[in-house]
Amino acid sequence: MRTILLTIFLVLSPIAVFAAHTGHSEDGQHTKHYEQSLFKMTDNGLYSVEMVIKDKDLKVGVNTLDIIVHDKSDKDVAGAVIKVVPWMPEMGHGVFEKPVVKERGGGTYSIENIILIMEGRWELRLKIKNNNTEDSVIFDFPDVIRSASMSQDEHKMMHSSAPADVDTSTARESVKKLFRASYASDVTPIPVGRIISWKVRVETADGSPVKNAEVVLSGEMPEHGHGLPTMPEVTEGAIPGEYIVQGLKFSMPGWWVMTFKVKTQDKEDVITFNLIVP
Amino acid sequence: MNTIKYAQRYYLLLVRVFIVILALPFHSASTSSAASEISIHSWDQKEISVIRSLWIGSLPPLPKDPSNAFADNPAAIALGKRFFFDSRFSGNLKVSCATCHRPDMSFTDDLPLAHGIGSNTRRSMPLLGVAYNTWFFWDGRKDSLWSQALGPLESNVEHGFTRTSCAYLITRNYRHEYEAIFGQIPDIKNAVASPATKDIIALKTWVSMTPAQRDEVNRIYANMGKAIAAYVRTIVPGPSRFDMYAKALIDNDTTILSKTLTPDEVQGLRLFIGKAKCTNCHNGSLFTNSDFHNTGVPTPPKMPRDSGRADGIRKVLADEFNCLGKYSDAGSGECAELRYLDTNTTKYSGAFKTPTLRNIAQRAPYMHAGQFQTLREVLEFYRKSDSHELGHSELSDKELGQLEVFLHTLSGPVIAN
Repeated sequence: MRTILLTIFLVLSPIAVFAAHTGHSEDGQHTKHYEQSLFKMTDNGLYSVEMVIKDKDLKVGVNTLDIIVHDKSDKDVAGAVIKVVPWMPEMGHGVFEKPVVKERGGGTYSIENIILIMEGRWELRLKIKNNNTEDSVIFDFPDVIRSASMSQDEHKMMHSSAPADVDTSTARESVKKLFRASYASDVTPIPVGRIISWKVRVETADGSPVKNAEVVLSGEMPEHGHGLPTMPEVTEGAIPGEYIVQGLKFSMPGWWVMTFKVKTQDKEDVITFNLIVP
Repeated sequence: MNTIKYAQRYYLLLVRVFIVILALPFHSASTSSAASEISIHSWDQKEISVIRSLWIGSLPPLPKDPSNAFADNPAAIALGKRFFFDSRFSGNLKVSCATCHRPDMSFTDDLPLAHGIGSNTRRSMPLLGVAYNTWFFWDGRKDSLWSQALGPLESNVEHGFTRTSCAYLITRNYRHEYEAIFGQIPDIKNAVASPATKDIIALKTWVSMTPAQRDEVNRIYANMGKAIAAYVRTIVPGPSRFDMYAKALIDNDTTILSKTLTPDEVQGLRLFIGKAKCTNCHNGSLFTNSDFHNTGVPTPPKMPRDSGRADGIRKVLADEFNCLGKYSDAGSGECAELRYLDTNTTKYSGAFKTPTLRNIAQRAPYMHAGQFQTLREVLEFYRKSDSHELGHSELSDKELGQLEVFLHTLSGPVIAN
C-alpha cells in the first residue's frame, strides 16, 4: 500500500516525495531521496546537499535543477540563503547571467537560469547560509557538452557579452598547475584583421623555463562559436622557455579564449587566456 | 551734429533691443527642440568608439602590396587604367574590365550574375576600396589584386581570352608604355594559348611552347595584372552622410548632428552597431571583416551548390600567381596570409566574402549570386534566419526600415585615378 502511494506521489509531484525516504547516502547518516542524484556534504560538514538535475546532465544552454538541503542531523533546512556560481575552473570565468534560487519547502530549493556558455569542465559552487552558519560545496562536472537541440532563444541568452568576471590576465597557471605561462603581443592594443606575433614564456610551477616543448595554440570566440581566421604556428624562440607564435590574426573585436597545449617529454597540460580584443 | 549722433545711437540701441526681443521666443523654441534632438544624438563612449571605427577617417592608408613592386607606380597606374577600359583584350573584342566593373555603378554592375562573353555563376564584385582586402573574389581564390585581375581575362564566360594573346596585344599596342615600367619586352607570337582555359586547343598550344616561351608570356601577363592592380588600387570610397555624422560626433559638434541624419537614420545606426549586431561582420571603415561566412543564402534556382571559400582555399594554394609564386615580388617572409591560411575546408564550405557596405544602396541586386533584389529583402532574410548568429526575430518592421534607411547613408562619391 505504501509502495503504491509512493508511486502515485512520484508521478504526481517530484517535490512532494522528498519527505519519503528511499535510501541512505554513503555516510549512512543522511537521506538520499533519488537513485539518480548527486550527493555531497558541504566542506565543513554542516549540510548535506542532494542535487537532482532536470535533464539528468548539465548541458551547454539553460539548465534547471533542484537541491535538497539537510542539516547535520538530517533535518530539512528551511529558509537558507543559497548562492550558486557556475564556474569554469580551467578557463577562469563564469557566466553572463546569475542563476535564480527559489525555495520550494521541505528543504528543497530549485535553481533556475543556470546558463552554461560553452563546453568543457564546469563547477557549480554553492554557498549555503542559515542562522549565521555558512558552508559551501563544489559540484564538479568534468565534461559538459552541447545538447543536440538548442533553441534560438536559449542561444541568444548565452551570447550577450563577455562574462563580467572574466580573468584577462596575460600570465596564468595551467589547468593541472604543471606550468605557468605569460604572453606578450608585438602589436598593442591587439588589432583586428592584421597578422601579429606573440611571444609566450612557459615555465614550470617552480619557475624554471620549459624547453623543447611542443606548443599548440587554438583560439575561440565562445560568444560566436567560431575560431581564428588563420592557422598560427608556434616555434621555440632563442631564449629558453620562450616560444614564438606567428601568423596570429583576430577577425573580430570581443572576447577570445586562447588555449595553449604544452607537451614536454613527461608532462602535458593546458593553459588558457581570456582576451578582449578592442 | 551731436544731436544727430545721439539720435543715431538711440536708434541703434532700439534696433538692438528689438532684435533681442524678436529673437527671444525663437531662441528658446530652438533650444527646446535641440534638447529633444540631443537625446537621439547622445551616444556613450563605447558607441562613439564603434562609430569612430566605422568612420572613413579611420581608414588607414592603402596597405602595401609586397607582391606587386609597381602597385604605387604612377606610370603603371596610367597603363593599368588603359588596360582596364580596353575591350580588345577579349574573345569578341567587346568585353573590358569596365564591362562588369562600371565606373558609374561603384565599379560593379546591376546584374544578378556577371555577364561577359557568357554568363557567370556569381555576381560581379564591387571594386570600391578593394585594395584593402586580403583575399579576392567571393571565394578568396586569389591573394593579391594583380593576381585577381588575371582571372577574368582567361575565363571563358568573362573575357574569353588567353594570356598569350594578352602578351601579344601588349607588344603590339603598348610596347613603349610597358617597357618604360617593366623593361624590355620580348617578341611574342600571336597564339591562342593558355594553361588555364577550358579551350582544349589553347591548352595544347600552350604545352607545345618551350618553357622559356611560356615564362616570357607569364611574365608579361603578370605585369599586365600588376598595372591593372595599380589602377584599381586607386578606387576608394569618399565620405558619405554617415561619415559627416561620425565626424560631427567625434568633434562634438552638436549643431551638425541633426542636420546630417534624420531620426530614423540615427536609430538605424543605433541598431546597426547595437541590437542588430551587424558590426559582428560589417566592421571597420569599409564595413567588412574581410572574412568568409556561410550565411545560408539560398542557391539560385537551377544552379549547382557553390562551395565558395572551401574551393577558394584550394585554388589560392595551387595558383601559380600567388604571393609565394615565381611572378610575385614578395620575399618569402612577406606572404604571412598565405603561409598561415586556414585550410579547414569544412569550416568554410559554402562561405563567401563579407562585402563592403559602402555605396550598398546603389549596388542592387545583393549577395554572391544576386539572390535579393532589394536591401529590404536582405534584411528580411537575416531577420528570418534560423542561424543563432544571424537570426533577429526580435526586430520589428519599423526597426528593419530604420536599418534600411541607415544603409542609404553609406553612399558617397567614388574616387578613382
